[in-house]
Formats: sequence, C-alpha cells, structure tokens
Amino acid sequence: MNDPSALTIHAPGVDTEALVRDIQETVARKQQQGVYADARIARAERANLVNLRDDESFTGFYLTALREASAIDINDFEIRERRERFAPLLVKLKKSIWNLLKFYTYRLWSQQNLVNGLFVTGMESINEQLTSRIKTLEARVAELEKKLDGR
Amino acid sequence: MPAARRIAFICPRFAEQGTVGGAETLLKALAERAAADGREVEFLTTCATNHFTWENTVPAGTRTIGALTVSFFPVDDDRDVTTFLTVQGRIDKGVKVSRADEEAWIANSVNSRALIAYLREHLDRFDRVVMGPYLFGVVYAASQVAPEKTVLVPCLHDEPFAYLSIIRDMFHRVGGLMFNLEPEKDLALRLYDLPERGAVVGMGIPDAPTDPQAFARKHNLPNPYVIYCGRREVLKGTPILVAYLQAFRERTGRALDFVFTGSGPIDPPDELLPAIRDFGFVDESDKRQAMAGAVAFLHASVNESFGIVLLEAWLSRTPALVHARGVVLRDQCQRSGGGLWFRHYPDFEECLLRLLDDPALRNRLGESGRRYVLDRYNWTAVDRRLFAALDGGAA
Repeated sequence: MNDPSALTIHAPGVDTEALVRDIQETVARKQQQGVYADARIARAERANLVNLRDDESFTGFYLTALREASAIDINDFEIRERRERFAPLLVKLKKSIWNLLKFYTYRLWSQQNLVNGLFVTGMESINEQLTSRIKTLEARVAELEKKLDGR
Repeated sequence: MPAARRIAFICPRFAEQGTVGGAETLLKALAERAAADGREVEFLTTCATNHFTWENTVPAGTRTIGALTVSFFPVDDDRDVTTFLTVQGRIDKGVKVSRADEEAWIANSVNSRALIAYLREHLDRFDRVVMGPYLFGVVYAASQVAPEKTVLVPCLHDEPFAYLSIIRDMFHRVGGLMFNLEPEKDLALRLYDLPERGAVVGMGIPDAPTDPQAFARKHNLPNPYVIYCGRREVLKGTPILVAYLQAFRERTGRALDFVFTGSGPIDPPDELLPAIRDFGFVDESDKRQAMAGAVAFLHASVNESFGIVLLEAWLSRTPALVHARGVVLRDQCQRSGGGLWFRHYPDFEECLLRLLDDPALRNRLGESGRRYVLDRYNWTAVDRRLFAALDGGAA
C-alpha cells in the first residue's frame, strides 16, 4: 500500500501542468490569429463571466468576441416553408410579412447596430488605456523597488 | 483525550436515497466505517429530505438503517424564512453584514431544537461529536453544545458565507477539524488565521468493474459523448457546460453528445436538445458504466470541497475536464495526472479537441487518475486516516 502522504503533484504518467501550459500556449496563438473572434463564444461565455473577472488576458479576448456578437444581421435572408401543402402561398405570405417588418424596423435595428459598435469600441479603448497605464505603473513600481533594494 | 469509542455523527440530511449531496454521502460513509470498526455510532439528523424546502418528510424517531442507528428529529417550523433569505441574499452578493444579521441568518437557517436537546441530554454517552457541513444552523448550534468533543467536517468552499465572523468563531471553537483535501485545509487555515491543525481524511471510493462500450450499447448511443453526474444547478456550473457544448458543436461540427445523470433541470437551448441524453437518477453500476464510456467527465463547479464523482470517473478510467477556478478539483487533477482544466471557452475547446483526437492521451489520463484513486482513496488508507483523526480528536 502506498503511503498517501508520499503522493506528490505530477503523479507518474502525465504531467498535466505541462499539458495545460501547452494547451494555453496554443490557445494564445490561435487567439492572435482571430480564431476565437466569434459571436457564439461571446454567447457561451455569458455563464462563465463571474469566474473570469480576475483574468487579465480574458478581457481582450472577450471584447473581440463581443464585437462579432454586437453586429446583428439585419439583411434579407432566404425564406422557406417546410410544409409541402400551400408552400408557395405560405412563402409569399412570409415574404410580405418580412417586407412589412423590415420597413418599420430597419431604421431601429441599424441604429442599434451602430450603438452596439460604438459601445464595444468605447470598451476596447478603455481597456487599452487602462492596460497601458497599469503596465507603466508596474514598470515604475519595479524601478522604485530596484532603487530601494540598491540602497 | 479518550479514544473515540462512542461517536455521534450529525448532518442536516441523511443519505438514505440516492439524490443527496456529497457532504451527506461523506458523513454517512464515515459513520459506517466507524461502526464497522466496532465503535458505537449514532447518527443524528433531521426529518427533511429536500434541501430547498426543508419540509419534514421522514417520520421522527430512531431506526436502524444498515449498520447505523439513525435518529431523525423535526426541523423547527417557526423559522423566519423572509429574514433568512433577505440576509442570505446580501451575504451572497458580498455585502458586509453586521454580527446581529449573521446571527439572525444562522438562527433562521435549518435548525432543530429537538436534535440539540437530545444531544445535550445524551452528551455523556459520546466521546466525539462529528458534524458537518459547516453552513447549517443545526451544525452551528451543535458545535456550541460540547466544542471540546466536536470534530467539524466543514466541506468548506471559498464562498461569501465562509467569511462570516460566526463561522470564523465556529472554526476556532471546535476541538477538531477533518478536511477532505489539502486545499480545503489550506483555505480554512488562511481564512481563519488558524495555526497548523486538523486532519485530512477524505472518503473511500469503491472500485467497480466497467465495460466502456456497455452503456452506449444498452442505450443505443451512436456518437461519442461527454458526461456530467450529479445535481444540475448554477452552483454546480452546469449552465456553463451546456453553453460551452453548444458552442463546441456549432464551431467544430463534431457530433459530440452530452450525457447527464442525476437530478435537476438542464434547460438546454432547442438546438442542443438532440445532443442531450438525460438519464436522471441511475444506480451506481449504470453510472460507472456511463462514466467508463465517456470521452471525458466534465465538472465546471468552482465550489467543491472533494468531488466524489470526479474520483468515481477516474476509477472508470475516464479523464476529467474541470474549471480552473475550482481550486479543489484542479488540485485533484494536478495531483492525479488524471484531468485537464479550462479558464474559458477557448481552453475548453482546445482541451476537448485533444481528448477527442488523441485516444492514447485519454487512456494515459484515465489510467493515471485511476491509480491515484486506488492509492489514496481505498478504504484501508482512508480508515487509517479516519481512525487516527477520530482518536486524536483531529486537533
């Protein structure tokens, strides 16, 4: 029987820390390539936001995904009918309803898209400014600590 | 301090049925092991089975259940639920509440005056009083009856309730502390400025033979699947898993299904419905078979103190994928080499792709997890830690 107190991190077999580090590096690389700039990720991440508020790298990635999600598609789309009976008639009816809806809502939704875009741009700008200021302050603190250590 | 020959165990619910939480399962299992060792054990609990309503549904009185003598006491029916929920809501949001509010909250939590009166009356019969989890009025009140004899099994999480001053006092008051894992102990020592104390015990996880194909064959599951077993609720992180799996299927085009066992609503979006297989409550054998056939066992809870289902999945040779913020589950993965962890969706996607595309990696992780559980959480090893902790008072 093994002594349980003798168990250590990195049990023989798999070094999961190294594996996860490699996965995180791959993710960072893909992030740079824009692989995760996807509205579906922004939607999926809603349930996890509370766990990510302290994650420094997350904000940038989330804003990219949010930008994708903020642009609502308000263009025409193909209107179909699955029921065979009266299908041409139903398609015509649906098209008429869509044209009517588009006429009354296009202005509203295009303005909403504009606001969404401006909002995300604003957040990106704030994030960039704050990140840059924090980096400057961190460098300043490191410099001062170095000076203090040298005394 | 005398050896713990006569022990009372206290838990707000008794794990008689399958749909109870991990803490109830743990307390019952520890009591059974102590009884099997020839110690005189009595289990004190309430008549409630539902952890939302706390309605008295089991008749009060003493019954013999398996090897245990179990005494059921009614939950007090005069609790002020409005006060309880109002203060709880504020604590949950991280608002600092006064000591008076903390006391009002615990006083209107789940309490049983009958249980406490019984404990007082029969205290001389017990060498130790083992109780948990930490969050309930009945446990808080019981810890005040004979603190020097009390061993608290807190099942502690890093959550707003753990920061209350009354909870801090309880941890300082009790004679002993019994933890499930080192990170839980570290959290307690850090939160309450305690000197090095308490024992890490855990729970034995019995092995069971499994066939990785059996569950898919029995239930006609054509696609590879991931699995989650247990309660489905926000605190357990199931909404994160459902949202992530939907994004994963849409983005990668992989036909990956999601098997659930356990209780509670899942609420998947319509698009994901065909991929969700909800088996509800299944027996232990079926659960292990379901785990054995899965690509990975998923757990996104950040508030676990042990993770029994994770260990069961490893015994079935199934790797785990857990949330990086869940300190305990991530620690288990690090120690065992049996699982990976994700911070956000991109990590989740990359981890899952590797597990799906690399069966050799999957096997290595699963085997590593299994070895870890067999070494550390076999009952012989746990018994040794448990009896030493009980006899030494887990001081």
